[in-house]
This record gives sequence, C-alpha cells and structure tokens, in this order.
Amino acid sequence: MNQEHFGFLDEYAKKEVRRATLKAVAIPGYQVPYSSREMPMGRGFGTGGLQLTLALIGRGETLKVIDQGSDDSVNAVNLRSFIEMTCPGIHTTIRTEQADLIQSRHRIPEKPLREDQLLVLQVPYPDALVVVEASEDRRKLLHGEADYSRLLVKLYEDIVKFSEITISHRYPTRINGHYVIDPSPIPRWDVPKLHNSPALILLGAGREKKIYAVPPYTQAEPLAFEDVPFRVEDFSDEHGQRRSCVRCGCNSSFLDEYVDSATGEQVYRCSDSDWCNQQLEQQQGVEQAVEVANG
Amino acid sequence: MLEVAPIWQPHIQQQNYRLLLEAMSRPGTVHPIQGLNRTSNSLLAVLAALLDGSVRFCDLSERLETSDIALLQAIQTVPEEADYLLCSGIDAPDFQPRLGSLASPEQSATLLVHVEALQAGDLQLDLTGPGIKQNRICNIQGLDTDWLVKRESWVCGFPMGVDLILLDQQQLMALPRTTRVEVH
Repeated sequence: MNQEHFGFLDEYAKKEVRRATLKAVAIPGYQVPYSSREMPMGRGFGTGGLQLTLALIGRGETLKVIDQGSDDSVNAVNLRSFIEMTCPGIHTTIRTEQADLIQSRHRIPEKPLREDQLLVLQVPYPDALVVVEASEDRRKLLHGEADYSRLLVKLYEDIVKFSEITISHRYPTRINGHYVIDPSPIPRWDVPKLHNSPALILLGAGREKKIYAVPPYTQAEPLAFEDVPFRVEDFSDEHGQRRSCVRCGCNSSFLDEYVDSATGEQVYRCSDSDWCNQQLEQQQGVEQAVEVANG
Repeated sequence: MLEVAPIWQPHIQQQNYRLLLEAMSRPGTVHPIQGLNRTSNSLLAVLAALLDGSVRFCDLSERLETSDIALLQAIQTVPEEADYLLCSGIDAPDFQPRLGSLASPEQSATLLVHVEALQAGDLQLDLTGPGIKQNRICNIQGLDTDWLVKRESWVCGFPMGVDLILLDQQQLMALPRTTRVEVH
C-alpha cells in the first residue's frame, strides 16, 4: 500500500474544499474562505485552481489545462503533468469539447462551454474592492451590503482622465445583482461568457485562500455606466477592418499580438491554441474535400 | 480483509460530492445517490461525503445510528449552532438555524431534509433563480408546507440564509438560498 493517495490532497483537505464550493455556489460571487493547503509549487502558480481540480476530479474524467489559452505553456504543462501523476485513471485532452473539467489561467475557451462541463479559473487577486479598501474586514462588510460606490467612483475617475474605463483584464463583474467579483485576469473579451453560462464556473485563489463561483445561468454584469457601456477589445486595424489570425485566418477570436522577429511587423494570432488548430483542421478538411470532389 | 461500505470510500464520496455540486448549481434537478446498500441510507451517504471533525452537526431526524455518528467524526451540537442539520420533512421545523452574518454568510447552516419521495407527490414547486434557465417544476412528497414558509423567512435577507438539500431513499436535490420558490 505504498501507492500515492489519489488526488494528492488528503480527504480532509478535499472535504473542506468541497464544502466551500457548495457554499460558493449557494452564495454566487461571495468569496468563501478556506485553509488552502501547502502544494508542491509556489502559491501564486495556480494552487487555488489546482486544489479545486484535485477536490473535483474522479477516475474516468477528462481534464484540459490551459494557460493564456494555450495547452503548451509552462504553467499548463506543469499543472497537467502533476494532476496526471497524482490522479491515476483520469484522461487529459487539449480539445475543449472533449473535456469534463477545464482548469484555466487567464482565458475562457473560445468554443462555448456546455452544461456538462465545468470551468476552474486560477485567481491571483480575488477581491475587486482591494483597490479602494485596504482592510479585509471593511471589504467583507462592503461586499455584504453590496456597496460598490467607491469602485464606481474609481471607474468614473478613469473616464474623467482617459474618457473611457481603462481596465483591460480582471474587469469587476456583478454576479446575480449582488456581489462584485474579480473574474481573474481574463480579458474583457471573456467577461460576457460569464453571463448565463451553461457551465458552472469555480474560481480558486490559493494564496489568498478564497473560493468563489459563478453558477450556471446566472447574471454576470460588468460594472459600467448608462452612458459609458462596457465594451470588449476592438481588433480593428487602422482601416476599420477586423484583424484576423495570421495562422488560421479566423477573424472572430481573441487575438494575441506578436512582433515578427524577422520583419519587425506586428502579427496577430488566436490566443486559444485549440481553437486555432481546429480552424486550420476544418480548412484543411474542406480543401481535401474540394480536392476529392474535383477528382 | 475488512470490507468498508461504499459510502465511506473516497471515490464514492467524490461522486456523491459531484452530485451535490450539480444539484446545488442547478436547483430542482434530482440526482441518484451512489454507493447505497443495505447498511447505508441516503442521509449518511451525503454526510459521509462532506463531514469531518471540523464540522458541527445535529440530527433532528433520528435516522442515524450511534455507530454511524462515530464514523462521521463530526461534533454534535444543538440545532442553533449546527453547520449541518438533519431533519424530517414531515415535521414542521421548530428551530432557528444559523443564517450567517452579512460579512460571513457562509457561516450558515445546510439543512438536509429527508422526505418520502422526490419527483412524486402533490406538492409542486415552481423554481426560478441562479442555476435555472427559465423555471423548473419539481414535485415533493412528504414535506410539511411550513418548511417553505420558514425557509422564506430564513432566506429573505440575502446574502444570509440557509441552503436545503432534500433527500428521499435514493436521490437528492438542492434548494440554495437564491432559489425563489412558488407553490403551484
């Protein structure tokens, strides 16, 4: 019986995380405190998301892990291999549609999630109020009273200075008309996906020891003003043309900007690598089909 | 070798936890509890998946054996201080559960209410709220209607409130504090 315990965490740690997730779902957007165990990686490297995944996953389930939309970046690879090592009998995939559980850092997949899927987001800073109130005790009261006036003033100051709200990621979002959450450093592009999501979304902050949730089919409204509505990133070029991915040509996805090291030119690519691959495969499939048809 | 009943095995507890999470995420949906056999009842299966020595609980239903309670390891207490409360649906509630505070609403009770049958009976509820796309109809047999009146008074001050898990012999469903319930 020298076998390592399934899921690395002991059963007491898992039960604590599990109880916290149930309260998190019952109180949408509220940050439930939990003890956050020591993991064999530094806090701030996705230990919150990892503890959620380890408490959730069971044998036979399929997991996808992404970091900034990519299955191959270092944080995703490390987390995936750790989970594979400690959870014998699970499967992993890079295909969004094949996953039962998706653990992600900083992105929500382009492909819409289904009811039978579950998204776990890694969170560095869970409290949207931290920019306006330093004391956690005071923040907890403000959250309880749903008093976000100081946060709105902060957004208003942005408008005064820059004529628009300049928050690019971690956009404060109100859940079920009460709690405002920090939805983790997802781009604005992904914020509308929180609203009425078919899938349950759990957020875990390991260093800050908080778990919170956006239940399925729940209102999620980014904070904004009537005359300054929320908007997502604009990928139009100087001629007003929507930029497309240099690799797959997709012009409807969230794009990452690169500088071509040879030419010094700016190029854009899909941030979601599985989405990009599937676009390419589809095109190749179509090309092959055309070739076959043309005989 | 000593045979451990399925509900005490970690992989069954994981499955039952996921059912609870699914039930809490989608109020009114009914899920079959895993790992039940002659010696285990549905209440015990759910408690086994959630409780340990850091939790206080109270059994008002008197459906648990003393030996089961010892295995749960949880601290027994009075209803007013319990994190988890076991109740019988046919009895009208006559206690005041913990509702949490404005700053810490999670420090509130979860009520496990045993009823005769889910998906049966004359009591028909129309549910709306988070986790429900439009509305969801569910039927319950063996729930005193006073439960719904009391629940309303417990959950009216969001974020404070209680969360209900309803169980019959085989299955469970949940009514978190955010669910709005109308009797048909």
